[in-house]
Amino acid sequence: MPPGGSHPVIRFERLPVTDGPLLRFEKNRNAMLSDVVERTVHDFIGGSNIDLLIGEALYSERFRMKRVKPGFFMRNRRKLDEQLWGYVQGLIRNTGEIDRKALLDRILWHYAGEVGGHFNPRIYRFACSAVPWGFSWLLNAASVRRFLPWGMTQSLQSRLNIVGEVPLLQKLAGHGTILLVPTHQSNIDSVLIGYVIYLMSLPPFAYGAGLNLFSNPALSFFMSNLGAYTVDRQKTNALYKQFLKNYSTKILMDGIHSVFFPGGGRSRSGAIESRIKLGLLGTGIEAQTENLIKDKEKARVFIVPMVTSYHFVLEASSLIEDHLAEAGKHRYIITDDESWQPRKVLSFFWKLFSSQSSITVRIGKPLDVFGNFVDEEGRSQGPNGTVVDPVHWLTTCGELRKESQRDQEYTRILAAKLVQRFYRENTVLSSHLVAFSFFEALRKKYPDLDLYRFLRLSLEQRSLPYAEFLKSAGQYYDQVSVLVDRGELYLSEDLRRLAKLSTDTWVQDGIRQLGCLHEARVIRVADGTLWTEDMNLLYYYRNRLSGYGLSFHAGRGWTRKGPGQNDELGFLA
Amino acid sequence: MTNSDFWRNSKVAVIGGGSWGTVLANLLSENCLEVRLWLRDSELARAINATKTNERYLPGYRLSHKISAYSEISRVLDGDVNAVVLALPSSACRHEARNMAALLGGHEFIFHATKGVEADTLKRMSEVLSEELPCRRIGVISGPNLAQEIARGEPAATVVASGFDEVLDAGQALFGSALFRIYRSCDMIGVEWAGTLKNILAIASGALDAMKFGWNSRAMLITRGLAEIVRFGVAMGAKEGTFLGLAGLGDMLATCGSPLSRNYRVGMRMAKGDRLSDIIKDLGGTAEGIMTTRTVWRYSKARGISMPITESVFQLLEENVSVKEAIQILMTRPSGSE
Repeated sequence: MPPGGSHPVIRFERLPVTDGPLLRFEKNRNAMLSDVVERTVHDFIGGSNIDLLIGEALYSERFRMKRVKPGFFMRNRRKLDEQLWGYVQGLIRNTGEIDRKALLDRILWHYAGEVGGHFNPRIYRFACSAVPWGFSWLLNAASVRRFLPWGMTQSLQSRLNIVGEVPLLQKLAGHGTILLVPTHQSNIDSVLIGYVIYLMSLPPFAYGAGLNLFSNPALSFFMSNLGAYTVDRQKTNALYKQFLKNYSTKILMDGIHSVFFPGGGRSRSGAIESRIKLGLLGTGIEAQTENLIKDKEKARVFIVPMVTSYHFVLEASSLIEDHLAEAGKHRYIITDDESWQPRKVLSFFWKLFSSQSSITVRIGKPLDVFGNFVDEEGRSQGPNGTVVDPVHWLTTCGELRKESQRDQEYTRILAAKLVQRFYRENTVLSSHLVAFSFFEALRKKYPDLDLYRFLRLSLEQRSLPYAEFLKSAGQYYDQVSVLVDRGELYLSEDLRRLAKLSTDTWVQDGIRQLGCLHEARVIRVADGTLWTEDMNLLYYYRNRLSGYGLSFHAGRGWTRKGPGQNDELGFLA
Repeated sequence: MTNSDFWRNSKVAVIGGGSWGTVLANLLSENCLEVRLWLRDSELARAINATKTNERYLPGYRLSHKISAYSEISRVLDGDVNAVVLALPSSACRHEARNMAALLGGHEFIFHATKGVEADTLKRMSEVLSEELPCRRIGVISGPNLAQEIARGEPAATVVASGFDEVLDAGQALFGSALFRIYRSCDMIGVEWAGTLKNILAIASGALDAMKFGWNSRAMLITRGLAEIVRFGVAMGAKEGTFLGLAGLGDMLATCGSPLSRNYRVGMRMAKGDRLSDIIKDLGGTAEGIMTTRTVWRYSKARGISMPITESVFQLLEENVSVKEAIQILMTRPSGSE
């Protein structure tokens, strides 16, 4: 693929896309799944009480099936589920006579059928040419509609900015296995990440994708043939979770680069992830340790954070509602979410291309499985110019070996580092800063209201004179700039460029871009007054800058809160 | 190889040859192959090797033949030690760790015995060490351990805390003896803060004792002081229960009544009207509580954490109030519920 073309602007070298081991996936699929099943059986046999384990799995699966109704395209899977668990229930009535290993095998092979993806090189090649074509078509159509004079390539360049450590990532892909861990805001992320990986000239990645994505038949067809494996967060039983972890470990051990969202689902609040799911993340260290024990070449696993910044998020309304509902925990998976209907997705890209909106994708500094930075040779950088040998960190009592508690602790430290990196690799867009400044300026008017009372302000109360807002926005820009200078986050190039002109310029841009897809405009300006039509959405977009100590209450002398924590009045700090 | 077999055949380095470092080296020598003790003073190192005693800090205390003292850090950490124990004042930790970094391989377990935090950053010593050393398996040893008493062979107990179980296993295997019991904790934040914060109360306790008050006032100080440091510790991420254990209440009871504690002596002499600068000169070691009081006072003010006793100790150290005035201020505060 020549540089430029119909692709977004890329400031890194496009290399010939190399064949990854994923291309040989289909040939080894059965052997690989059987290995994963065997490992999982091994993890349970002999250790814990198998009857109890199967009993618990049965209970939680039956509970899940009762609670969650399958979508139209998931009915076949549900039938298989019902058959299996009906069979298990019949069997465990007479526990004395069961062959426990055989039963465990059967359950795990059932999961294998669900989790295990496929990889079809022909579909991959098709997708590689179709996706850019699709993007170009959409752009072209959208541009024609808008009568943009400056041509397709030019305007596409302004849409998708891939910045950060791309060359380093490209080099590391040759030294070990990449585990790409993006922040997750929208279902669009899944398509976008696949495209970004392709643009970075990397071989195809295996993909941990939420089961709800597979409810769209077209997408399901592509995803399940492009190495995606299913992650169903509704399944909480130990057998499933262990199987999933072993699957991820196995593909990483086989050198297949992978992606999964370490925060679990999409960010409900709009803030950057502050809690990381340790289970799947821990498969990195497990795979690396096993490979080192086996003395495999390219044994190392590199964790690469990726932060995506959008001016608008398709499903923002339902996400923030879910976040705000105190009892929202049980609705962890939004099944009736508006975002994943094909019409909506098409509309997202249409609006993306027809407006002057852009998406910034930042590839963060790669880490090793302990949270150390790595150089382009894949060496872990310790403090004071030292190089960390992972074998030493994985040696216990003089022996290189797996130690589950030690590795869990390393993973916990890695997760904390990852959260820190997510915050630092965040790119602030004009719309984020406008939302934040406006929300905080309103809070100054009502400093004692708690979150829920604040969100119910009347239309009149949630307005500000434009001049007053402008002053406040300028001050927040200065505060953010201090953080940028300290390397604690990034400003988008657009914002930087517009801010050089005047505060009014970037503020106007931010207002125009902010959630421009939603039915109700998040911020409106008329007659020198600024107001919001949807406080929840404003809060959602404002939260993108929470966790940096910038909020109005940070200056009130209250206890400093970290990322993801609420202040005394219930606002994300 | 089992855990204790491994450590029995290991070499261990102790960084810091003060009284606690010396006692720790001796405790370690019972459970490992060789102990290398690092001190900045080469004369003292030579004297220790020649006489097998540390006459400057613990006169007459006999050291094991397995201990060798050095003043060159490279001879102590030449690649084959499996654990490093730092017994340094908090102000020296970062600097010495930086000097050690290039000499460590990464497999070493690191323990520290410092009861203080970094002055400006408020970072705990384990955080400082993980920022400076290419090692991640770090633990802390802290508890009611007055070095002189342990040197006399009196029974005592301590806590080893770390996020890594294997560091706790190592801590128990390395430091434990028939007279020294090791308890384990996974709350490293709590143990580090408990050891740090109790020094503030040790100063207060010394001052109170100088006034020749009885047990009622000491009990009031310890109980209300505990409430105060728990409040602070929890705000820093510690678990409340840790403060009720050896590293919290245990250490407070030991230091709040013992003239062996340097912090206690600081409080006592301040109450008698001596100037802080003179006291520091005479101490013969670091009183961590002085710096801790300033740092914690500043932070608690900024974050709105109520710490009236710390405030009084701070004012006393700044020589703004006398002990009598400080007590009067504390006693006339508006009453509240416990």
